[in-house]
Amino acid sequence: MNAFDYIRPQSLEEAGRYLTSHAHVKLLGGGNTLLLNIKKGLEAPEIVLDVKHLPGLSDVRYHHNQGLKLGAAVKLQHLAAGLEIRRHYPLLHQTAQKLASPQVRNRATIGGTLAWASSVSELAAPMLCYDAVCYVWSPRGKRTIPLSEFYVGDGRTALARDEIITHVHLPAFPTRTYGVYQRQTVRHDGRRMIAAVAVLAIRKQQALTHWRIAVLGVDDRPKRIPEAEELLQGAPSFEEVEQALALVQERIHPQDVEYARADYRRVVLQSLLRHGIMEVIQHLQGSRS
Amino acid sequence: MKHEIEFIINGQNMQFTVDSNQTLLEVIREELGLTGAKYGCSTGECGACSVLFNGEVVNACMVLAPEAAGAEIITVEGLAEEDELHPLQKSFIDHHGVQCGYCAPGMLISAKALLSRTSRPHEEEIREALVGNLCRCGAYADIIKSIQVASRARR
Ligand SMILES: Cc1cc2nc3c(=O)[nH]c(=O)nc-3n(C[C@H](O)[C@H](O)[C@H](O)COP(=O)(O)OP(=O)(O)OC[C@H]3O[C@@H](n4cnc5c(N)ncnc54)[C@H](O)[C@@H]3O)c2cc1C
Repeated sequence: MNAFDYIRPQSLEEAGRYLTSHAHVKLLGGGNTLLLNIKKGLEAPEIVLDVKHLPGLSDVRYHHNQGLKLGAAVKLQHLAAGLEIRRHYPLLHQTAQKLASPQVRNRATIGGTLAWASSVSELAAPMLCYDAVCYVWSPRGKRTIPLSEFYVGDGRTALARDEIITHVHLPAFPTRTYGVYQRQTVRHDGRRMIAAVAVLAIRKQQALTHWRIAVLGVDDRPKRIPEAEELLQGAPSFEEVEQALALVQERIHPQDVEYARADYRRVVLQSLLRHGIMEVIQHLQGSRS
Repeated sequence: MKHEIEFIINGQNMQFTVDSNQTLLEVIREELGLTGAKYGCSTGECGACSVLFNGEVVNACMVLAPEAAGAEIITVEGLAEEDELHPLQKSFIDHHGVQCGYCAPGMLISAKALLSRTSRPHEEEIREALVGNLCRCGAYADIIKSIQVASRARR
């Protein structure tokens, strides 16, 4: 690896001083992306700032009205195993359980994973469905960025170079939700993704509302398809489901990769999504209120 | 940049001077001479360098040495007690969980992490726990069997 200085700041302010005084500073979470990039020579920071130990960044707090606050240094393994996640945000739990390997999940942080803005970043799918908001700190001040505006395409985020994600907030979600995460990958550990979808809805009396559709691997960023979600509100008929699927096809722009052509990724996505939507409908309509 | 770090490895307190850009794996193998954890892909995919880091399995090739300050680390060398092999190690020998042996230290560490959470894992749970450990001999069936037998044999 290229030479760099590893620094473990004790406060956000201290981290901010390095971000201001040096041009090539990279934040370190679990290092699964950053160290790989440094090893490959894709990045050559002067300073690597280990932000995992900053005060408050490992906090997890759930409140039934306020929702879930997850510190940026919380590990993905917590999402896969934490009881409050499993109970109140099952789609997040389900996705995290399948993500990569125990070795990766035990190190990968929520902040580092969200900042890795690949179109195949699996954590993005449930986070988008649950309307996650990133809380960001920089020496210039604080701001919030809804995840739906966080990914700006081609692996980039809305973060400025001196900004640190401190935590992520997921609003409280009504119970009686059901979500499905479906992926098609070449490798069993989730690598080499062809396409993936997350689908979520809520049952209110006889109606299915709050539909969420997030897609991965088929555009320049992870994204929701709000127009298709709109079509499914209520109790969607088969025709409406087909219309929603057709609409999703208009909103995606998959790329050829060495293991899957763009048109194949479209077909796979369509099939995963149809299956996901049908499963959500069947589950929610079959359950007694 | 140099860092004076202190950590506990296989129960022993160690003090070291490391560089910012050294990995934990380099320190374990080259400074400490504990060559159980292996260099494999060096990109976090193969799991040959798996160690327990504060009780959790991680790839030592993807941890910077200075990050280990204050940590408690267990490598495959730390599984045996005195001269007695760990039940997992015995089972790997008895049930041919070791073919060429390169992946074995990582497999054992992942298995150890699994058994400390789940005393009687199902086959599916074992498979999930080994997702991050590749075996190029393809000895998975015997590795899984070795872990199953060891878990049943435990008191
Ligand atoms: C072997 C392997 C298998 C994988 N398999 C999968 C898979 O199946 N599915 C999947 O979705 N992903 C997979 N990944 C990708 C993995 O999920 C990401 O690399 C990881 O989650 C990134 O999180 P991290 O904490 O390790 O980030 P880091 O590598 O530490 O950081 C990533 C980026 O985020 C920045 N950053 C870190 N913390 C912050 C912060 N608080 N605020 C702002 N920016 C920050 C860093 O500077 C860097 O640019 C895999 C990775 C590996 C190595």
